[in-house]
Amino acid sequence: MERFVANLIKDFDAGKIGRREFCETMALAFTVYAMGDAANAAPARGLQGLGINHISYNCADYKKARDFYTSVFGMGVVNDKGKDRANLTFGPEAGKGGNFLVVRTAETTTDAKATVDHIAYTIPNWDEAKVRAALKAKGLANPTGRDGSLHVYDPFDYDVQFASAAQENAFRS
Amino acid sequence: MQGFIATKLDDYAQGKISRRKLIDIFMLAATATAAAETAKAAPAADPTLKVALVNHVSYTCPNFREAGDWYSKVFNMTPGRSSANDVVLAFGKRGEKPYGVTANDVPLSHMVIRTRDANTPAAGTQEARRKPRALVQHMGYTVANFEREKVKADLIAMGVQKVRDGGLYSLHMLDPFGYDVQISGFANNALSDGA
Repeated sequence: MERFVANLIKDFDAGKIGRREFCETMALAFTVYAMGDAANAAPARGLQGLGINHISYNCADYKKARDFYTSVFGMGVVNDKGKDRANLTFGPEAGKGGNFLVVRTAETTTDAKATVDHIAYTIPNWDEAKVRAALKAKGLANPTGRDGSLHVYDPFDYDVQFASAAQENAFRS
Repeated sequence: MQGFIATKLDDYAQGKISRRKLIDIFMLAATATAAAETAKAAPAADPTLKVALVNHVSYTCPNFREAGDWYSKVFNMTPGRSSANDVVLAFGKRGEKPYGVTANDVPLSHMVIRTRDANTPAAGTQEARRKPRALVQHMGYTVANFEREKVKADLIAMGVQKVRDGGLYSLHMLDPFGYDVQISGFANNALSDGA
């Protein structure tokens, strides 16, 4: 970044770019810098997965699912036109690593031989007593699982897990 | 931001600040911009149950090794723990933070790819998991440097089945067990998808 800024000033000094172009380029550079390097970290061959983009969830009434996930797990709502779907946001900002759950009123059967039988979400700053109290306040008084990693069912009996980083991560022993 | 840049550039052009000073100011501003972007992502209200990210996707299929090989190859994932019935694959390397996340207690999103009986008791119980009346019909994954035609060619070269366009910003394909998988870059997000 520093070399980029130095070169841009050099170009400005040399008259290669004007004041407006300098300001626009610099503003764009700030945005790209804020995004970090991972977005450009593809391997030389093949693809580099960066993470989950979204979960496409079908059920009989997307509004019921929307209300559950926003109320219990604090997800935001976008692109809800009141018809048959909504995007429920969480995590980093949209387009910058944020995840979203697409809840749809749609078919719930499939020909696939595989299934995603549950999704687990990370709750940061996990405090067991507070988490259980918050669940109880939402009418979910008896989660299953273990401390730091709990399960509840959503309104369509879909298994929802939520956990702390300590209890659920790819590299725990 | 452009107003700030213009002011500092004018100061430099008028000799009020040195070239070195101008570089330092812009570097500081870039860091502050990055910090502000991170702060925007922080929960605003009671964070007790506010989810930060997908922790993992529990994927069940007839042959977890075959699925594990496929996802590992297609998404260049990092192997984590494994057992006789499952394998864990992470998006990112051990020790890294998830893309866009600065908190220390949000782990890399990962897949738990397993083979198990549908009647296996739910976690922490002796009862079978309820039969859901909902379906995760497909999963969307983000890949770096997504360029649709290049990615399509890469996937076909890898032998991936039924690769097809998905809207403006993504591709769909089937994994070895006929499960619908969508891939995209960051252009496919909550604001653009379905808008």
